[in-house]
Amino acid sequence: MIEYLILYLYTSLFIIFAIAVYGVVVKPNIIKKIIALSIAGDTANTLIIFLGYRLIEYPKPPVLPTLNPSRGEINSFVKEAVDPIPQALVITAIVINLAVVAFLVFLSIQLYKLYGTLDHRKILVRRGVGSEA
Amino acid sequence: MVMNLSLIDQGLPGFIVLGLTASAFLLPLIHYLVRRRWVIELYSLLVSGAACTLSWRILGLVRAMGKPLVYSFGGWPPPLGIIYVVDLFSGLLGVVVSSIMFLVIVYSIGYMPGDRRLYLFYTLLLVVEAGMLGCLYTGDFFNLFVMLEVISISSYILVAYYRGDRVAVEASMKYAMYGALATTMYFTAIVFAYGSTGTLNMADLAAKIQGIEFPITNGVFGNLHYGILLFTALMLWAFTFKAALFPNHFWLPDAHAAAPTPVSALLSGLVVKIGVYAIARFIYTIYGVSWINQLSTQIILILGFISAYIGAILMIIQSDLKKFIACSTILNIGYIGVGLGIGTSLGLAASTYHIVNHAISKALLFLSAGLLIKIVGSRNIASLQGLGRRYPVIGIPFAIALLSLAGIPPLNIFMSKFLLYMALIGSNNIPLALILLIPSIISFTAYTRIFYTICIKPPLESNRNIGHSLLNIPSSIPIYLLAITCILLGIGIDYILPLIIMPASNILANTSIYINTVLNYMKMI
Repeated sequence: MIEYLILYLYTSLFIIFAIAVYGVVVKPNIIKKIIALSIAGDTANTLIIFLGYRLIEYPKPPVLPTLNPSRGEINSFVKEAVDPIPQALVITAIVINLAVVAFLVFLSIQLYKLYGTLDHRKILVRRGVGSEA
Repeated sequence: MVMNLSLIDQGLPGFIVLGLTASAFLLPLIHYLVRRRWVIELYSLLVSGAACTLSWRILGLVRAMGKPLVYSFGGWPPPLGIIYVVDLFSGLLGVVVSSIMFLVIVYSIGYMPGDRRLYLFYTLLLVVEAGMLGCLYTGDFFNLFVMLEVISISSYILVAYYRGDRVAVEASMKYAMYGALATTMYFTAIVFAYGSTGTLNMADLAAKIQGIEFPITNGVFGNLHYGILLFTALMLWAFTFKAALFPNHFWLPDAHAAAPTPVSALLSGLVVKIGVYAIARFIYTIYGVSWINQLSTQIILILGFISAYIGAILMIIQSDLKKFIACSTILNIGYIGVGLGIGTSLGLAASTYHIVNHAISKALLFLSAGLLIKIVGSRNIASLQGLGRRYPVIGIPFAIALLSLAGIPPLNIFMSKFLLYMALIGSNNIPLALILLIPSIISFTAYTRIFYTICIKPPLESNRNIGHSLLNIPSSIPIYLLAITCILLGIGIDYILPLIIMPASNILANTSIYINTVLNYMKMI
């Protein structure tokens, strides 16, 4: 049962990532591109959070409760605790994504002010490149 | 040669990056306290000058020690904490980056019009410099991602610095959208590398791929081949975007042409080199001699050839001077890619030398072209006719840059191209050398056309009566310094090649020194 769930999760993450990349490349509307981009970022974050999870019944948080642990305590702790590094990575990635998305949204406001549209094809036409199709 | 470093010298690589970031973000505060233009300019000049001096000092230390310099943040031992590893290759590129950055800031003082947001311009320039030095010095591939984002976000903003300019905002949008996708790809690559090796440290990753025992982290999870293959695919996607190698070159002409001129010089000369540096670091230092190294060098070789052709063909058809210069970057990145793809030590040396030479020549060409464009107020090549002759003060360095990029013998790019052909012939690839000659010839005609139009033809009637009031000293000093460097790097090849270029490219391909330095450092603390 659990193997199927893992397979299901991985497959769906890969499919979502592929759809997000498709959205960034193909969708003409800038806002839809930004949404697809943040979906791609979130998929990567979910993937690494999932890598750090332990497949046991009650995984522990990555905090060692004793002050001077023995070797055996550390070994059992390592087997049961969730990996903390992916969470640290995800925090960093989320903050960076926030900055990028905020900048992109600002830039799309600026684009709308200058061109009067957020459709990428119309922007190209109004810039003088490409033709009305 | 074992040398004991003082505590300050050990901390230099970390200090230079953190210090630059901190002083960059101090600049808006200073602007709010003292609203004087010269204070901001003097401050950024001092900060970038200090960074330049320190990076030369780091290169000197690494050369004197004869092994890479390691610094760990907070004293955590390597696979746990973030470390900075500076070897000759990254030290050399760090010197190139910080020196050109200093000259770009000197140039901006004379070039940028004084407006309300000028302090943000200098802040972003210093942040880009911090990010680039961080990318070069880091020994941790997640830290590389963070520093890459630092560079990326600030260069997206710098491209759209003239936010009323329709073309600039559109170019910045294209650059930012696909750039953010590329860095997300690199983050996914990190996920796979971490999932299969359980480490974020470059030396540890190299040890896992080579099968060398490395303390603290566990062994490999699952099949290492699949993990590394996925990592390589996504990593190359991201860094070919940053380096503007063939399938991901589409953003470069617009973004580099629309940015303010100092930023164009910075992006074209230095920021694309960070992508090249990361590719070189991964496929040579980290993969070492392995099947994945063979595979990725083949890919880079093919992409380099296609890039060179595309760059050369795009160059002929441009009528906009800055777009022309930007397209020449695609051509030269193609050459660097070919040098990395050959895989011999001569090919690596040619690539390293071409990285340095192209950074200098391209910065010089953009900066001098920027002054010419400022005089006329148009980027059209036809309307710039004869300006180089009319203003020889700018025209001579402009001509030197053009001739250098065209590959005229005593100048620097000729020497690195010559080394590249030598490397191709030396590895028994004479047909490839002939194929690579064609984009060189195509681009030569394009460069000669610009040279003839701007430096030989008589000036247009409308351009004859413009005075010299637009010529300024702060902008001319960096141009002349760069021009002199161009000539010296060409003439002094016999001296420079064994002095720094060959050792730097040899250390790049030497995985065992890299791993052993980090292992020894772990034993020390």
